[in-house]
Amino acid sequence: MFRKRYYRHLIILLVGITFFAIIGCENQPKPAPLKPNEVAIAWAKLTLFITQHTPSNSPTFASRAFGYIGLTMYESVVHGYEDYHSLEGQLNELESLPKPDTEKQYDWVLSLNAAQASILRDIYIQTSEENVLKIDSLERRIYEQYSKNLKEDMVTNSISFGKEVAQAIFEWSKTDGGHRGYLHNFDKEIIHPDFPGSWKPPLFAQSFSHHPLHPHWGENRTFVSANAEVEDPEFLPYDTVPGSPYYKQFEAVYKKERELTRAEKESAIWWGDDPDVSFTPPGHSYYIATLAAESSGADLITVAKAYAQTGISVADAFIECWKWKYAFFTERPNTFVPKYIDEEWESFWPDPPFPAFPSGHAIQAAAAATALEDNYGTNFKFTDRAHEGRERDKVRDTDFTIRSFDSFWEAAQETADSRFYGGIHTPIDNEVGLAKGVEIATNVNNLKWKN
Amino acid sequence: MEKLRIHLVLTLRILILCIFVFPYANTKGQNVFKDVTDSAGIDHKYKVYEGTFGGGATVFDLNNDGYEDVFITGGMNSDALYLNLGNGKFKDIYASSGLGKSNLYVTQGAASADVNRDGFRDLFITTITTTDGSNKIPRAENLLFLNNGDSTFRDATKDYGLDDLNSFSTGISFGDINADGFPDVFIGNYFQEFKGKLGIIKDATIVSANQTAKSYLLLNKNGEKFEDVYESYGLGHKGFGFGGVFTDFDNDQDQDLLVNQDFGYKAVPNFLYENEYPWPSFRDASAETGMDLTINAMGSAVGDYNGDGWMDYYVTNIKFNWLMENQGKGKPFVDRAKELGTYNLAISWGANFADFDHDMDLDLFVSNGDLNPNCTPMGNFYFENQENKFVERGRELEVNDYGIGRGSVLFDMDNDGDQDLLVVNQIPILDYPIESATKLFRNDISNGNWLKVALKGMSSETSGIGSRVTVIANSKKLIREIDGGGSSHLSQNSVISHFGLGNSTKVDSIIVDWTGGNRQILLNQNVNQSLTITETEQSSFKWYVAIFISIVALMARYILVKRKKPL
Repeated sequence: MFRKRYYRHLIILLVGITFFAIIGCENQPKPAPLKPNEVAIAWAKLTLFITQHTPSNSPTFASRAFGYIGLTMYESVVHGYEDYHSLEGQLNELESLPKPDTEKQYDWVLSLNAAQASILRDIYIQTSEENVLKIDSLERRIYEQYSKNLKEDMVTNSISFGKEVAQAIFEWSKTDGGHRGYLHNFDKEIIHPDFPGSWKPPLFAQSFSHHPLHPHWGENRTFVSANAEVEDPEFLPYDTVPGSPYYKQFEAVYKKERELTRAEKESAIWWGDDPDVSFTPPGHSYYIATLAAESSGADLITVAKAYAQTGISVADAFIECWKWKYAFFTERPNTFVPKYIDEEWESFWPDPPFPAFPSGHAIQAAAAATALEDNYGTNFKFTDRAHEGRERDKVRDTDFTIRSFDSFWEAAQETADSRFYGGIHTPIDNEVGLAKGVEIATNVNNLKWKN
Repeated sequence: MEKLRIHLVLTLRILILCIFVFPYANTKGQNVFKDVTDSAGIDHKYKVYEGTFGGGATVFDLNNDGYEDVFITGGMNSDALYLNLGNGKFKDIYASSGLGKSNLYVTQGAASADVNRDGFRDLFITTITTTDGSNKIPRAENLLFLNNGDSTFRDATKDYGLDDLNSFSTGISFGDINADGFPDVFIGNYFQEFKGKLGIIKDATIVSANQTAKSYLLLNKNGEKFEDVYESYGLGHKGFGFGGVFTDFDNDQDQDLLVNQDFGYKAVPNFLYENEYPWPSFRDASAETGMDLTINAMGSAVGDYNGDGWMDYYVTNIKFNWLMENQGKGKPFVDRAKELGTYNLAISWGANFADFDHDMDLDLFVSNGDLNPNCTPMGNFYFENQENKFVERGRELEVNDYGIGRGSVLFDMDNDGDQDLLVVNQIPILDYPIESATKLFRNDISNGNWLKVALKGMSSETSGIGSRVTVIANSKKLIREIDGGGSSHLSQNSVISHFGLGNSTKVDSIIVDWTGGNRQILLNQNVNQSLTITETEQSSFKWYVAIFISIVALMARYILVKRKKPL
């Protein structure tokens, strides 16, 4: 009697386990199906993740990556939309790109999926194996959803077209001067120009390098030819006399640091976007493009076009910015202020390892805002949650506080201002940065994207 | 145009130096630190690898002849082993010393201790990579050389299990964390370390190479092997490590560990670990002691500058240094650099507390130098302790050399009873207005009585590394720790403790606290002598052994009593 009951219990138990195991499997969170525009967004998010989690990344290299990845996204779908044009023949030395076969049928989401996976793997060849698995798994997930109920050859056509586009763009990218740029972040042979007001390696530094980042980046090929021709800005003549325009620039930084409000400190750390711990400043722009894509509910081609415009704009902005940074080779407030105003002074935020003028944050933020306005309009409300939930900055005793904006430009302006609050840029670094960013992105907007 | 500008800048720099530096060349006829580099035969310059770090020196009497010798790292240049000939001259015997292998490596720092307890001090050298440029990712093994006793050394890196530890190492400190008489080692690592050989180097490997590193805590196993016990002893941190120093900050007679880290404000701050001896572990006391400095810590000097019986620490940094005053057990340290006057703008590396002028308090030397390749000259500091306030007198005492200073060490080069200084300097990579070379400064400023105490450990480390010497004279209590390396930058001072005694004519008592807890007291000693105190065998009574025996006894009794009970 005892034994019988024992067995019965055991069987019930086993059945129960099996049942729950099956239920458990079924209940495994199956990812919700993605709409076409959400596929684009999912890839952008993974791009941001990889940008952040690949060591030795830099704002320069990251900006370039966003340029090629955004462009690839657009080119992998553009032929599905009659009103839109490929950028083939419109970009610097990019004479042609693969064209779809008019006889064949394509699914543009599958093309985008294959193209994004391919270009991400190639541009970020230095990322970890763990991150490569993330690319594989997103690619598989979208493939499984979109290849269902499609004819096999349509699936094959779409995937191979996407891959071809990505391959062609990657091949083109190799000759721009920035290919595998992460291997040469700092040129150890470079002789730093030495003159009154010249840049000096930071003492309160974000990076251990005493050499400036990517000194030859300004020689890289711009995406848009016109962007290599943008007029050079003007800087101020060096002057240590109090009251001179030059002195006043640094004095303004010094005075601001002494009266920073909590909100200004929060702004300074929010936009820091240190490449060692975040998706870099151009990543912040690509992130804002993602916020706009999500909240606008725009269709796939609009979203892809906006990513391409943003990516190309920030990439060209960094090339031009770096050209000027090394042409002017100007000092940071941390060099001038202790020498001529207050020996003990130190900026609120540490110095990045490159010359000051013009501000890279400002130029890329203005470029991105200009590109995004072109797609989503000048008045666009959004809430930036990029660093939400990050552990507070104990060293600076400041929290990461989310920010809301009424327009892309408002965010760009704050990006620039935040460098002034951080004490690492003068007002003129920011003003020129913002103005040049607009010019550069306008050249991108002026390409023939649409009828 | 560009060339003209560079010329102008250079001329200007030289002009400035002429105006400000040279006229001070001892016109007042007062006693100064005499630069005896040339007459002593020291000819050394540290050559930096790709604008990184180095170098350092270790002081040790390699042939036990009573004159202390010096090993200096050369980086990309040859290392040097200067034998002290005793007549104010040194001879570089590197070529015949058997250390030749070290020239295949970009050496950084060095320290010495009697690793195998054979009576001769052995040499441990840290490295960052090999000099042949074959390493795509700069890493290499650190080097251990055993002293043969005849002024030659043999490579023991592999035998001691160190050849698999590939690292970008900086500072090194010997200590005896488990008080077994065999010196253990802490080595700071700057960039991510790895074990064994790297296979095919992919881009992913290269980009991840510049991340923060775990350092090494190498336990000396009976003088036969080193074992990395970093994690099992509870040192979990990573960081841009500049090494550390073993020191007893809480006066419980074991060796705690102060760790220097670069970019503390960005990556990982400094640490102060409390040794939980006899338990084999360290406890992180950084936050509660306020020693978790978020700075670019390059080195630390250990010394009780205010004579309160607790060790204080001067931590060097970029721009302004920190004078961390010990407030006693359970209380956080307080930075008093600004208040007490050791707060001058510079980029500082080595620092050394010593009673240079023999007035019974600790003065402070600080070695300064810009970051290669773009260097502007900056002079060293000499902070004279004047009733626990510091006055900077570097220029006046002619120790404010404008070379690119790095590690600095104290020793009595001429056995005249005072502390001389050797400062390692880097070669400027670009144009530099003056020569930058390693300097030897003879102390001609001391004015007063003195005492030197060398330790001979029998169950403690051979030179007493990790032990503490206390001198009571003229109703003052002076304490010194025997430096196992690290009470500076990448360097190790003399292990002979030195005391300035002013006008005291007798030393009331000398107390030696050996690692492990043995105490030895000598009363009524003469001044102006070099004493050697040999450790006497004491009842090796240890409280924890007593407790253990008591517990066993109690248990035995309990069991016996229980057994006796009728069943």
